[in-house]
Amino acid sequence: MPEKQGWAWGDWLENVAVPILAVITALLVGAVVIWSVGGNPLVAYKGMLDGAFLKKRAFTETLVATTPYIFLGLAVAFGFKCGLFNIGAEGQFYMGELAAVWVAYNFQTWPAYIHLPAAMLAGIIAGAFWSAIAGYLRGAFGAHEVITTIMLNYIAIYLAAFLVGMKGPMRDPRASVPQTRPIANSAILPRLNELPAIMQHPAVRVGWAIVFAVSVYFLLKWWFAKRVTSIRRKQAYSGIIALLVGVALFIGLAHLTALGGPFTDPADRLHLGFFLALLTSVFVWWLLNKTTIGFEVRTVGANPDAAEYAGISIIRNFVIAMGISGALSGLAGAVEVLGLQRMLKSFFSAGYGFDSIAVALLAKNDPFGIIASGFLFGAMRNGADLMELRSGVSKYVIGVVQALVLLFVAAPVIIRWLYRIKERRGEKIVITRGWGK
Amino acid sequence: MPLSLEAKGITKAFPGVLANDHVDFQLEKGKIHALLGENGAGKTTLMNILYGLYRPDEGQIFVDGTSVRLNSPNDAIKLGIGMVHQHFMLVPVMTVAENMMLGTESVKKGTGWWGPLSFLDRRRVEKDTRHLSEKYNLNVDPTIPVHMLPVGVQQRVEILKALYRKADILILDEPTAVLTPQEAEELFVIMRSLRDQGVSIIFITHKLKEVFAVADRITVMRAGKVVGHTTPAEATESLLASMMVGREVLLTVKKGPAHPTETVLDVQDLQVKDERGLLAVRNATFQVRQGEVLGIAGVQGNGQTELVEALTGLRKPEAGHVLMAGNDITNDSPRKILETGVSHIPEDRRKRGLVLSYSIADNMVLCTYYKPPFARGVIMFQEAINAQAKRLVKEFDVRAPSIYTQAGTLSGGNQQKVIVARELSRPYNLLVAAQPTRGLDVGSIEFIHKRVIEQRDAGHAVLLVSAELDEILSLSDRVAVMYKGEIIGVVPIEEATRENIGLLMAGITTEKEVTHA
Amino acid sequence: MDFATFMGLLPSILSSALRISTPIALAAYSGVLCERAAVINIAIEGMMLVAAMVGDLVMIYTGSIWIGVLGGVLSGGLLGLVHAVFSVSLKTDQIISGTAINIFAGGVTGFAYRRFLAMPSIPRPNPSTLQPIHIPYLDKIPVLGNVLFQSRPILYMMLILTFLIHYMLFYSPWGLRTRAVGEHPEAADTLGINVYKMRYINVILGGLVAGLGGVWFSLEQVGHFDMLMTNGKGFIGLAAMIFGKWTPFGSLLAAFIFGLPEAIQINLSFYFPNIPYQFLSMSPYILTIIVLTGVVGKALPPAADGQPYEKG
Repeated sequence: MPEKQGWAWGDWLENVAVPILAVITALLVGAVVIWSVGGNPLVAYKGMLDGAFLKKRAFTETLVATTPYIFLGLAVAFGFKCGLFNIGAEGQFYMGELAAVWVAYNFQTWPAYIHLPAAMLAGIIAGAFWSAIAGYLRGAFGAHEVITTIMLNYIAIYLAAFLVGMKGPMRDPRASVPQTRPIANSAILPRLNELPAIMQHPAVRVGWAIVFAVSVYFLLKWWFAKRVTSIRRKQAYSGIIALLVGVALFIGLAHLTALGGPFTDPADRLHLGFFLALLTSVFVWWLLNKTTIGFEVRTVGANPDAAEYAGISIIRNFVIAMGISGALSGLAGAVEVLGLQRMLKSFFSAGYGFDSIAVALLAKNDPFGIIASGFLFGAMRNGADLMELRSGVSKYVIGVVQALVLLFVAAPVIIRWLYRIKERRGEKIVITRGWGK
Repeated sequence: MPLSLEAKGITKAFPGVLANDHVDFQLEKGKIHALLGENGAGKTTLMNILYGLYRPDEGQIFVDGTSVRLNSPNDAIKLGIGMVHQHFMLVPVMTVAENMMLGTESVKKGTGWWGPLSFLDRRRVEKDTRHLSEKYNLNVDPTIPVHMLPVGVQQRVEILKALYRKADILILDEPTAVLTPQEAEELFVIMRSLRDQGVSIIFITHKLKEVFAVADRITVMRAGKVVGHTTPAEATESLLASMMVGREVLLTVKKGPAHPTETVLDVQDLQVKDERGLLAVRNATFQVRQGEVLGIAGVQGNGQTELVEALTGLRKPEAGHVLMAGNDITNDSPRKILETGVSHIPEDRRKRGLVLSYSIADNMVLCTYYKPPFARGVIMFQEAINAQAKRLVKEFDVRAPSIYTQAGTLSGGNQQKVIVARELSRPYNLLVAAQPTRGLDVGSIEFIHKRVIEQRDAGHAVLLVSAELDEILSLSDRVAVMYKGEIIGVVPIEEATRENIGLLMAGITTEKEVTHA
Repeated sequence: MDFATFMGLLPSILSSALRISTPIALAAYSGVLCERAAVINIAIEGMMLVAAMVGDLVMIYTGSIWIGVLGGVLSGGLLGLVHAVFSVSLKTDQIISGTAINIFAGGVTGFAYRRFLAMPSIPRPNPSTLQPIHIPYLDKIPVLGNVLFQSRPILYMMLILTFLIHYMLFYSPWGLRTRAVGEHPEAADTLGINVYKMRYINVILGGLVAGLGGVWFSLEQVGHFDMLMTNGKGFIGLAAMIFGKWTPFGSLLAAFIFGLPEAIQINLSFYFPNIPYQFLSMSPYILTIIVLTGVVGKALPPAADGQPYEKG
């Protein structure tokens, strides 16, 4: 009897090999499409690779493009875990942007340690509210979230167009184009190249050193829990290491410019949002797999009848799951505004909504997998312009490749057949449900 | 005697199971041939092969002496084979006539050249159906939507459907499972009259008594193989039972007398509606005491499902009261009701009882995951969950590779054991067991029966709901009978017989048999 | 604005509403055809978008609007075939398959727009929209004549399709089989009906009808293709189908109701210059949510809707 619930070879094939092969196959089919319209696929893909990784600042720009994909992929995946199909990530993203930018350009007098969290929280709440509407309508009235979230997308787009538009209340009257005022300095989510200046204040360094030292202390205590029996020694080891980390940070943070690269390049746009996205992945993984909240959400998603039988409220979990999903989308919007744009322009669709579905499904809704698939989509988005420039093939061909990725992931039969991978036995997981229930 | 149907050496494998292993079967013209076997013996697979739904891996089929290949039900229908499935193959929202013509539609004269877009001739089909129904004395109105018909009549529609397609070989798959003993008698009359008009019938069942009531020939299957042929005249019940199971079977459960004490569950004038908004439970009033088993007998679909759902909070009652140990729990949430000490073995284990994609370990904390030692606050402790699973798997004899095995990959018996283990391992006062042995093999049935009696003897109150009359009679201390949503009688076990309970199940009451509880 | 002015505008409002409801109704019929056979089709939006683009392209290259219409309709049918292959044969999750087609449509139309359509002075026929057809005598009926009988061809086709699909579903062997496949595919299978074949036929028909709805945008309404010009009408069509209880006439009524806000906006915005247009523009979407909230749960979809059929 195997004692550990480890990753067997079969799991690996199913969860890693199939998605990777799906991406490769989609790129191959995409090459045929490029070739058929008279483009050179090799030139095109080389252009994409250069644009995504090799050009100056390409790699950090790819990380910048990856950031919203990670947040939005996590958002969509969280919905899927509860059996909900959140197509409305894009609308929730806009609501997050609107709320965050409103808080961020008002309240100029607030100190940064309140203003920045407040702006992010505003984005989270706005996104959560927008999606919880759909969750509640689904739970209480059976109105299917696929339609309601799409409708909420359009409503959000028009709402934003009104607020930031020509006669809108959020428009900066001094600007010639419709856009909001720039956000206050106290609400900025720093770029890496802004960090050295910020870190010159000893108080900021002390704050960060303490935050990290405390986190390290608890992480070590948890890690030692299974390896060291004596409580006193456990505390002593953890304390000493944490203290060292704290001191090292206090000293090191003052000399960030020594790292060079994105820390010194004034044109580099990589911001802390990317690292926040990584942390959020860990948090979502923990929430889903190690807490009762996650257990309830997953149970409702896997078998709502059994959940009801076990005393788990379906309506409540629809609202919670949709709310958390929307909160993640809203956070994505807030991070985009506070870290990258620093204001909000009257916009048209950024096209994140549908892409993020593909990001989530490609990763099989696994929070760590989403980092990888988000990176892939970020790279494709970032590399698209250079591809178009070099090969003359419109960057919209990326959309075709992404649709193919999604199809191949959703219909793994094709990939299994192409590459002769055997199907694993086990319970099929239902991803979405029809209108009825 | 000429053969109307013959199967030779039929073999069919599904992933992990050899469902049919070189099965030989002969059906004589104008006979009723019973095919007897336990759940999972391979009877239905064989019939689906004979009806063209599955293709055999090996073997040959002969109809009226000539070898045939059945690639689809169409081929079987053309050869005069008709099948009445265990789960009716009727479209509920369509009328009887529409169901009759589906696949062989009649169209109005002059529109035939439009092909599939011709104008349907409903009148003619209704007339033909009426005619056929009179000929075989089946008494079916062709203009009514099927979902409005009682189950017994729906079954007759299925038989008519086969006859409408000019079937002279009729396969009936477990036809009595949904009928009262009296309705089953009526079905047997119909079967005999069909036989006398020249129809050959294959009758699939696992109930021994029915074989003696109606069959001319008997074939017994076990674990995918034919283990013997016989006739009712040559066989006895215990002989057939041991052929079916492969060993001696105790047909009754050993149990001592009950020592009931205080009332645990008190149900007063409960009214419950079903999905369609019709009253499914009417004025149900009964009590269950500590240390006794109250059995609720009745044919499926007489309100038992709705009653159990109302008792466990899964369905809101319209009126009436449910008291647990004196506390009113009538409109409480399922969670609150579970916490008053109700354990519930649900009737549909795959739909309600388990999350099939979860491991055995996670399924075993489905109702207690939020309590210590499995969780504190929102944080869950996997070690505690696994430790409990390891203990219960051993204690309840769940056969599985490990506690991480997906519940969906287990056999029905092991799935049910996971549920039973979960429900009996947490503190409770009342056990509600709904159809606890449906579809299980004899070994698992015996195991679960023993556990139920143990719980009673340990002083728990048990409410047993079952459509199997034998199960009710062997486990209960008192028998309540549900008919059209009403508890129309409660009979102490000493006075309960197949006959008087059977009459109550059909809704026939005489004052003498009913002692109000 | 007084009551008399409003009454004077009423015929104009009604005829705008009917015009605007045309693609919504066609999307809903596409949904009816697919879902009566138990295949959920949320790719209608994408099918319409592709058809709108293909219609314009074919018109440019052949110089004929009607061949353009035909091309657009066929492209919808082709995407229907793709959806059928994935959701019927490969048993992909139907909503995911639909989403993939929608992403594909966004990509491929953007791609083609940049490559072929976004250049100045492309030679299009003049006029490049289908022209209204006045039905003799009937177009002189007061109010009704204006609303119904001076319309453009795809609107007429939409109205005819309402009757045709109703007849096909409820009065023909094809419809009986379609509904059986949607309600109880096992039963249909035991009677020798090929469940897969019926679903393929229905999803392809649904694609063709969605294609007709798509070319309405480019060839009946605007005269050329614009990026993302279908603007969610395919999704609203699905809501209309649900509101219309999966029947053609119900869908038509629902589509008309969803068309009303925009029709009112077009006709009355002149009188209410202070209301931001965005609020009227978002009203159909709000209305859709309200209607869904009130109606689902009471109307039941076909019993097998959304479930792939596994034989045996």
